[in-house]
Amino acid sequence: MYWKYCIRRIIYGFAIFVILIFIFSALFNATMENTLRSRIEEEIHTETMRLDTRMTPEELTRYIAERREFKQRLYHLDKPTWSRIFWRAFNVLSLDFGKATIMRSSSGEADVWIIIAECIPRTILLFTTAIFINIILGLWLGLKKAQRAGSLIDKTTSIGTMIVYGMPSWWLGMLVIMFFAYTVKIFPSGGLHSVPPPTGFAYYIDLYYHMTLPVLTLVAIGFWGSAFLIRNIVLGILQEDYIMAARTRGIPERKVLYGHAMRTAAPPIVTMALLSLLASVGGNIIFEGIFSWPGLGNLYWIAIEQNDIPVLMGNLFITTALYMGGLVILDLIYGFLDPRIKVGGKQ
Amino acid sequence: MKWIDFKAGVQDFWNEFKRVKFGLFGLILLFIFILTVFINPYIVPFPEASIRWRDITYWEDNPVSAPPAWVNWFSSTKRAPSLIMEEHVFSEEKMGKIKLSRAVFKYEYSYDLPPLDVIFHGYAIGSPVIMLSIERPDGHIIELVRRPISKSDGKEVRVSIGKDSRIESYNFGAKFENLEGNRIEREMVKPTSVLFSEAKEGILVYPSPLKGTYKLIAEIILPSENDVVEDIYFTFSGGVSGWLGTDSSKRDIWSGVVAGVKWALLIGLLTAFTAVSIGVTYGVMSAYLGGWKDSLMQRIFELFLGVPLLPVLIVMSAIFKPNIWIMILMMSCFFWVGPVKTVRSMGLQIKEETYIEAAQAFGASSSRIIFKHMVPLLIPYAFASMALYVPSAIVYESSISLLGLGDSTIVTWGQILHDALTGGAVLNGLWWWVIPPGLFIALMGMTFAFIGFAMDNILHPKLRTR
Repeated sequence: MYWKYCIRRIIYGFAIFVILIFIFSALFNATMENTLRSRIEEEIHTETMRLDTRMTPEELTRYIAERREFKQRLYHLDKPTWSRIFWRAFNVLSLDFGKATIMRSSSGEADVWIIIAECIPRTILLFTTAIFINIILGLWLGLKKAQRAGSLIDKTTSIGTMIVYGMPSWWLGMLVIMFFAYTVKIFPSGGLHSVPPPTGFAYYIDLYYHMTLPVLTLVAIGFWGSAFLIRNIVLGILQEDYIMAARTRGIPERKVLYGHAMRTAAPPIVTMALLSLLASVGGNIIFEGIFSWPGLGNLYWIAIEQNDIPVLMGNLFITTALYMGGLVILDLIYGFLDPRIKVGGKQ
Repeated sequence: MKWIDFKAGVQDFWNEFKRVKFGLFGLILLFIFILTVFINPYIVPFPEASIRWRDITYWEDNPVSAPPAWVNWFSSTKRAPSLIMEEHVFSEEKMGKIKLSRAVFKYEYSYDLPPLDVIFHGYAIGSPVIMLSIERPDGHIIELVRRPISKSDGKEVRVSIGKDSRIESYNFGAKFENLEGNRIEREMVKPTSVLFSEAKEGILVYPSPLKGTYKLIAEIILPSENDVVEDIYFTFSGGVSGWLGTDSSKRDIWSGVVAGVKWALLIGLLTAFTAVSIGVTYGVMSAYLGGWKDSLMQRIFELFLGVPLLPVLIVMSAIFKPNIWIMILMMSCFFWVGPVKTVRSMGLQIKEETYIEAAQAFGASSSRIIFKHMVPLLIPYAFASMALYVPSAIVYESSISLLGLGDSTIVTWGQILHDALTGGAVLNGLWWWVIPPGLFIALMGMTFAFIGFAMDNILHPKLRTR
């Protein structure tokens, strides 16, 4: 039954994604068409420059008008608004984001999809590493807190959670760079790797060296929250009757905690980990810009600075796709871990 | 729910709340923040910072990128701080039609590095002549500037000694300097460093400070009856400035940060209030109405849930260039999904209560049941989540402003940080420009986290201890 649930969930997620793309296309239609029109004019201009000069002015105007009409038909600009929106959404869904106006990929290509595609793994690498460390530290501290709920260590660390609650990670990033990259000078101020990048094994060392500072910043802010959530999840379970029963049977506390409580706590904790990963994409992504980490978040900075609308829109679509994908995977994992969901419950 | 019930409910809640210490601490912090909004003009040197943040003339007397004044306490070379000096001794003398007034300002100088500039201000009508001179502790009197005002119906006069008395101060210094052999460029000599240094050899090159009481004298010749020069004062733009220093555009950061409090409170509270109100109503409606309406509302909810918030807000801000009110509206449009899931499940429970059934039996309408009998029960939860949404709203606005997409008619902490980032504050270690705005964001977030977590604590008593 699980695979049926999977297929249903994936199709449903995709449907929502398609609707969102349509909404975005409608919302930003005017701006995107403006950039498209100016690009058509530019293309025609370069074409006329290449033409032989024997044409009379009338022929030239007619030629330009012809080309313009052809191109507008090519990009469906001659159709009514709703159909233009449809074509735009269709292009996006087939990963055709058009060409960037200014920006280029590292191999020099102007195709928006290529520019974005090379950023995706970097973003995923940075944020998954940070969340991974986050959860491990959070588990360690959260379990400690749950075991001694109401104690001094629980209270003080809860205060810590509240202190960092509204702290922007990018601000902490700025401070950390100021201190560790410019004052003490033990870490690089940003970037993916040194220039020129070393080869072989040294490349990975160099990559991790550059990743240390951003990951440390994310962990320093993030793990308080995960510790607090894990504490609440585990504490809620520790108050269940079967835990009490296990304790009365004389099962040692360690075994109760790791054998009984953690088994029940696993699904919500996994959910929490994935949710915080998604929350990073949805709310933390420009953090990359501070460290010049060339991922999707940094791409927003550059696209806005250079006013490159195609890249900006393409980036939005890809981020949304990743986000939706994450939500679907979250549900699939949750369904796998919690058998009740697969069956669908009572209708 | 009657008023008296409501009052009793609030009283109960308050009694519980009082026992959570960090909640009270949060309330005190919130009170301080609200207080700063009201006493803003009395605690900042530049009360118009909020509306004239991008007006360069408003900041022109300040030094560029000066550290905070209290840095002097920790450093061995004391720098003269920025100062506005209005107190002076005034005397007048009449010679026929011509009037000669004289204002003497006393300046106590006990620093190692002189102010960067000393600026005379006044408001002049007619054609007066303004002459500035300085009397040093060692008795030298130096005439600095002579500035005739051509006929005016009233205008601000601004005389910068640092710019307009280069020749006079150079000549004064040159008297003591052995100029043979080493030529000293006149343009390289800073007037203030000559004026506030000991009159001995090296005054132009390696000046050593002359501490003591200086007298800044402004003599004003008023040729006719109607001529007036009033509101005179001196500003010193120092090597250190104000509580939190200045940025690279001479703006006083303390004034900017305090001006940001009001906007942060507005953005946070308004967004959280709108979003949570919508979310709670939506969740309860979805739970109560049930059937196909519930399914439809859940589908719409899931649609909003699939939106990555910050990227969408960034793109919308980049394309529509919204002002702050539209920005708040945009954020509310996406924030409301937060409480829906919890509220709906709570609503499903409340719906089964017998008193709801009783109300239905009396023929109460759906809207009456939803708003009169169900929503009030969720108010404690709504307030708790409201408090916890305030920080995120502030952080989202700051993040968008950090990208340079904020409303340029106001000043928010995110915008100050954007300027800091583009102005190279991180690179050049101008910590007083980077730390305070972010610290205030964090502090404001902490305040509401304290309050929200305290309310949460009351709502979930089981999670307090084992």
